[in-house]
Amino acid sequence: MSDALVKFTGVARSYSDWPAVEGIDFEVRSGEFVVLSGPSGAGKTTILRLVWMGDLPTAGRVEVCGCSSDRLRPGDVAGTRRRIGIVFQDFRLLPDRTVFDNVALPLIVSGSSPAQVRKRVFSLLAEMELSHRRASFPHELSGGEQQRVAVARALVAHPEIVLADEPTGNLDPESSRLVVDLLLGIVRGGTAVMMATHDPRQVPPESARFLFLERGRLVNPAEWPEAR
Amino acid sequence: MNELRALLRETLLNLRGRNSSILATLLMVSLSFVVFDTFLVITWNIREILRSEQENVGIEMFLTDSLDERSARALADVVSGMDGVRSVYFVSSAEAEALFRAEMPERSDLLDLLGDGYGLPASLQVSLQPGWESEERISTLAGTLSRLEGVGDVVWGEDYLPGLNRVVGALQKLDIFAGAVLVLSISLMVANTMRLSVSRRSLTVEILGICGASDWFLRAPFLLEGILTGFTGSAGGLLLTAVASALMQAGVGHDFLPGRWVSGVLLLGAVTGFIGSWIGLRSAIPRPRRQERKT
Repeated sequence: MSDALVKFTGVARSYSDWPAVEGIDFEVRSGEFVVLSGPSGAGKTTILRLVWMGDLPTAGRVEVCGCSSDRLRPGDVAGTRRRIGIVFQDFRLLPDRTVFDNVALPLIVSGSSPAQVRKRVFSLLAEMELSHRRASFPHELSGGEQQRVAVARALVAHPEIVLADEPTGNLDPESSRLVVDLLLGIVRGGTAVMMATHDPRQVPPESARFLFLERGRLVNPAEWPEAR
Repeated sequence: MNELRALLRETLLNLRGRNSSILATLLMVSLSFVVFDTFLVITWNIREILRSEQENVGIEMFLTDSLDERSARALADVVSGMDGVRSVYFVSSAEAEALFRAEMPERSDLLDLLGDGYGLPASLQVSLQPGWESEERISTLAGTLSRLEGVGDVVWGEDYLPGLNRVVGALQKLDIFAGAVLVLSISLMVANTMRLSVSRRSLTVEILGICGASDWFLRAPFLLEGILTGFTGSAGGLLLTAVASALMQAGVGHDFLPGRWVSGVLLLGAVTGFIGSWIGLRSAIPRPRRQERKT
């Protein structure tokens, strides 16, 4: 495998004979900010699902952090996901757990000691200006705060790549800008970020590489009016 | 250790807030076990009666008149050294007559009619070692004894022992059948409960999986819940059966299950719960797939 963190080679994924994506080839390297853009149903979420191995390709090969979709062994999927952080549009925070417990999840499942968990989570919550909210439950937070908690959860285990699926989709413009700034900060720290969004203008053009999807295929940015 | 602590925590979180559904499942499992335990209590008591009958099975060797008492006692020594023989008791002609008169006083006049010249034959009462109650072994031993010098008829319960053994064998098969039916029905019940439990916690399962939880970490809390459900349900069933047994004791005297059977029932409950949750989780927690499932 090359030094790419993510490599798609001739990837296709279909659901009940409907091709969600096909003929996808691209790479993502450390410290890159890759924006996946396109209209609804273009295949952005499918590509992110293929990266975190929520799905496997029906054709072609997906390689993520050294793990290849065509040579999966037991434990590979869990091992790969521990090197990935994921942020969703709807936050996906566990409603019956506090902010602290939500953020700590990736450390807990990887067997970190309680002392390690406390140290890392407290430090990250302080960075995210969420320390005062650590004992709150998700329903007690604003949308922007919930998304910052979700970003903290994605970052807590020092991932090599962060996937963000429409992370600003449920947020007001101010909160959206904060989340994008957070993601840009992550990239500056050397972690790769793949963000799916239908609105690429949220990310400064000079800060990211843009991939445009239409009907499940990558297209030339020049062919897509909103990219210009 | 950290992972174990996390697994136990996840198990407790799974159980939290589901009191009514957990109680309903436990009640169903307990009631199923009451039926099974009641059957076991009946089986146990019948088996105990049959076993004591089997243990009482012995061989009676009637001696010929030509054998004097000294020779008879020497013969008893020979027989007591044989395989499968626990003890040999010599019953003299006079003792046999006294026994007859004591046990059947209403028929003692028969002996009087026969007169002093007639005596009941002396005999050797052979009791057997445990494990020698089978028809085949007794019949072989009886054959050997009948060929000894000075031995007349040899009687060993050939009229009722084969039937007794058949009843014991049938009861054992019934136990196994009832156990298999119980395991199947409770497994399906627990499997369904687990599917509901996973469905209720689908977001947790999904997020834990996305955070890199191993397949084992995702499944273990539900498997543990299944084991606890089966174990607690079987304990509840035993408790209810014990109460019913105590209430019926005055009317129908019987024994409750012995300790090792109780342990067996609890183990069966835990194993059944494990099997049920394992079946339920097979379809409830999916693995990444290349093709959609055909529905």
